[in-house]
Amino acid sequence: MLSPRWRKVLRDLWLHKARTGLAISAICIGIIGAGAVLDAWSLLRRATREEFDASRPASAVIRTDSVDAALLARIRALPGIATAQSRHVVSARVRTPAGVQTALLIARDDFAANEIGVVKPGDGAWPPSQGHAVVEHSSVEFAGVAIGDSVELQIGDGPAAMSRVSGIARDVGLAPGWMEHVVYIFVSPADLARIGATSGMNEIQVAVADRSLGRTEIQAIARDVRALVERTGRRVSSVDVPIPGRHIHAGQIDSLLYTQGAFGLLALVLSGVLVVNLIAAMLTGQVREIGVMKAIGAGAGQIAAMYLGLAFSLGIVACAISIPLAAVFGRMYAEFTAGILNFDVSAYRIPVWAFALQLAVGALLPVVAALFPVVRGCRISVNDALRDFGISGRGETPRLIVGGRIFTRPVLLSLRNAFRRRARMALTLATLAIGGAVYLGALNLRGAVIGAVDLLFAPQQFDMVFRLAHPAPAESIAAVVTPMAGVSAAESWAGARAALATDGAPLGNSFTITAPPAGTRMLVPRILTGHWFTSAGNNELVVSNRVVDDDSAFALGRTVALVIDGRSATWTIVGVADGGPMPVTYASREALARVTGSTGATTIVVATGVAGQAAELALVRRVRSELADRGFDVSSSQLMAEQRAVIQDHLLMVAGFLGNMSLLMIVVGGLGLASTMSLAVLERTREIGVLRAIGARHRTILGMIQVEGLVIAILSWLIAIPLSLPMSIALGNAFGRVMLEVPVHLLPDGPGVLRWFTVVVLLSVVACAWPAWRAMRITTSSALAA
Amino acid sequence: MTKPLIVLRGVSREFPTAAGTFTALADVDLTIDRGEFVVVVGQSGSGKSTLLALLAGIDRPTRGEVIVDDTAVHALSERQVSAWRGGAVGIVFQFFQLLPTLTACENVMLPMDFTGTWPVRERRERALALMGRLGVADQADKLPSTLSGGQQQRVAVARAMANAPSVLLADEPTGNLDSRNAESMLDLLAGLVQDGQTVVMATHDHGAQRFATRTIALADGRIVAPAALVHA
Repeated sequence: MLSPRWRKVLRDLWLHKARTGLAISAICIGIIGAGAVLDAWSLLRRATREEFDASRPASAVIRTDSVDAALLARIRALPGIATAQSRHVVSARVRTPAGVQTALLIARDDFAANEIGVVKPGDGAWPPSQGHAVVEHSSVEFAGVAIGDSVELQIGDGPAAMSRVSGIARDVGLAPGWMEHVVYIFVSPADLARIGATSGMNEIQVAVADRSLGRTEIQAIARDVRALVERTGRRVSSVDVPIPGRHIHAGQIDSLLYTQGAFGLLALVLSGVLVVNLIAAMLTGQVREIGVMKAIGAGAGQIAAMYLGLAFSLGIVACAISIPLAAVFGRMYAEFTAGILNFDVSAYRIPVWAFALQLAVGALLPVVAALFPVVRGCRISVNDALRDFGISGRGETPRLIVGGRIFTRPVLLSLRNAFRRRARMALTLATLAIGGAVYLGALNLRGAVIGAVDLLFAPQQFDMVFRLAHPAPAESIAAVVTPMAGVSAAESWAGARAALATDGAPLGNSFTITAPPAGTRMLVPRILTGHWFTSAGNNELVVSNRVVDDDSAFALGRTVALVIDGRSATWTIVGVADGGPMPVTYASREALARVTGSTGATTIVVATGVAGQAAELALVRRVRSELADRGFDVSSSQLMAEQRAVIQDHLLMVAGFLGNMSLLMIVVGGLGLASTMSLAVLERTREIGVLRAIGARHRTILGMIQVEGLVIAILSWLIAIPLSLPMSIALGNAFGRVMLEVPVHLLPDGPGVLRWFTVVVLLSVVACAWPAWRAMRITTSSALAA
Repeated sequence: MTKPLIVLRGVSREFPTAAGTFTALADVDLTIDRGEFVVVVGQSGSGKSTLLALLAGIDRPTRGEVIVDDTAVHALSERQVSAWRGGAVGIVFQFFQLLPTLTACENVMLPMDFTGTWPVRERRERALALMGRLGVADQADKLPSTLSGGQQQRVAVARAMANAPSVLLADEPTGNLDSRNAESMLDLLAGLVQDGQTVVMATHDHGAQRFATRTIALADGRIVAPAALVHA
């Protein structure tokens, strides 16, 4: 049975249902915000680590022209190698019921004996048998295929062959197909041969014996493998060494979750402000009761324990409501993020420690928040407590308000009231101002993201791009497209994969070189230092500033040895262009042709004279048809406006996730203001009674409360404006770690500032509605008897 | 000769105010024996409530000694005085001051809860017994707001008696009661005194003096009627 003092605690909570509800709601919001992110993070961390480790990812991938069992045996015998296996990876086209897409076909002699990059079977059959294809999970939705569909596979101009989709499997080592716009399809070697692929394997995957080795050590082992392969007379086109034990997007997801978690935690801390207000309100209303309890024998410690117990019970109730909700939202968010990363979290449970941490923080935060008002309230002497008359005139009012003659008396009283409880006002201001700063920061981030996309697309002076299935003579394809109606200009571009070499051995991962003609008019990046290609005769490279930032070997004036299509050549960096956040490398088509020996172009860019998406799409169809008629096989085409929209939407989605955290802050801020104003009404019950006794009407009382709330709201708005600048920088940095670096605006967004003003004023009106209604219901007699 | 229960020696209590020092009690010497019903009378501001506050350890003298049941109350720390007060003194207030969210019985049990002077199992039983003695046992499970003023004050007295204090201090206990309930309350306190309880009561009500074993008159913080006269 509960003792009388604890019964009092529970009944007091029940007596102040509205304020209790506000405080519990605020704690719930904080726990849901921080807890959901924690749950998602714990699920993703476990799933990505365990699934990624279980897939036994390759330590290095070496691409060559052919691999046989003898070569694999020699590689396995090299020091430091645990095992090696081969596969055939070839780029192709796939025609699905949804259309034609670029495909990456992956074949292996024996999928069942797979030891590196293990594929996890999903629905349907595994491994793929002859005439059947298994589609990788992350490509299924993008490709628009389902088990049982028939798809047509074709490499270049080779023979097309139909395959039936017999299964879906997951390869967590692949960058998600929907993100890469590639359909990954596992097929049998016989099917590859059927559509004209060269026989044998073309890729070596190796796993090092010591899994604790770092990337540098693995790169050294990969160099040995490469040397061995080349000693057998084979050509090595690239060597990739990923960061060991880490999924390619793991860093981005960690950053996103850490950032969101930080904001969730901030919301949780700010919700503590409401607990401070609630407990302070309760103590204010019960000063005499505290005095009486002390007079009948209660010690300050016993009374403090009662109110801290009350705060603890608020936390426990909030935890009981919010931890299950946080788990639901956390799982949903984890599933969404896992979907992006191509992982499956459905088999994993949120770890117990995550719940325990939420319970501990949720239950103890209100206690910590309540500590200061409780200790202060319980120190009051019995004498002072029994003489308590409610709020005093403590707290100075700014001179401007004291001496003001432009306000009516009730408004003046509201303004003065707002400054009477300085500490509480500061807490409420802080809550609202931080909410505003996050809101404005999120808007700034949105603007910065759009600015970054502008920067990305600014150099591209064309409207559509066509990619050829296989290289074609540059001049002849441009000659086909340029005279077409609606086409203003067209250029043929080449491209290649390259890797930086030192002493002839590729060190870095491969990257793409974009190669427009030397005199291009359709690519005009802003040159920061140096110059654009001066002639087609030299091996000149122009790199974006991001490339230089990432690797000083590409600084202006430096020469670098690059391996392109297995051939090594020296290039000079003649210019650094503003590429925004993207690492981009340009060479002239002619220079690239000299190095690779291929004069073919793979891309046609077209500037149009037509306006509107419908007209542009019609032109795309005509160009594709014309090229097909002339024997040029177009594998894909895209409108730049569409490409821009896809990239922008993708980036804004992540910015939106960060911006969503401002909603949490706004709700917590609104609840904080509501609790502050209800507290103000409670404390001034007697004062309101006096005002009524001397003739104050309903609307006067209502106006006073609303004006007081507005004063706090507008002050918070003013504070939020400068505070939004560091918040914008913090959000921009977080976004930079997650997606790409964006140029953060150093001035708050004007319309956004006005919009936040509207939000904060509305918030104030809504938050003050209930306290104002309560104030209007106070009668003179009840107020003076209080 | 038995030792007095309460001894005040040279007790003064001064308050600093904007207009200068206000003396609530000036050089008061007083002894009260066990089983006395002492009524302290005087005008508002004469020092009655200050005297009771000093006896309860709620306030501290500026000068002098306050000894209650051999305890030098003026020398106790804040922590010691609250522990001492819970067991040694019972206080009855003018406005009853029952906690509104606790039932009458729970209000009476509360001092036992704070001081732990009675085993948990016996507390309700003892509270009901006290309430029965004061004629409000049938109101035990009601909230204070549903009780009459007289009933609330009886519950307040039961609460003050909960820990069997050495002295019961009552500050204007009839000030908020009608004449019938006031008479009844005084009768009740006199009955407690007859059972051996020491009561010190501050009041404006001169009619209360007929229940008292001694009356002390205060004016401007000084005892103006010698205690010895009443004793005699």
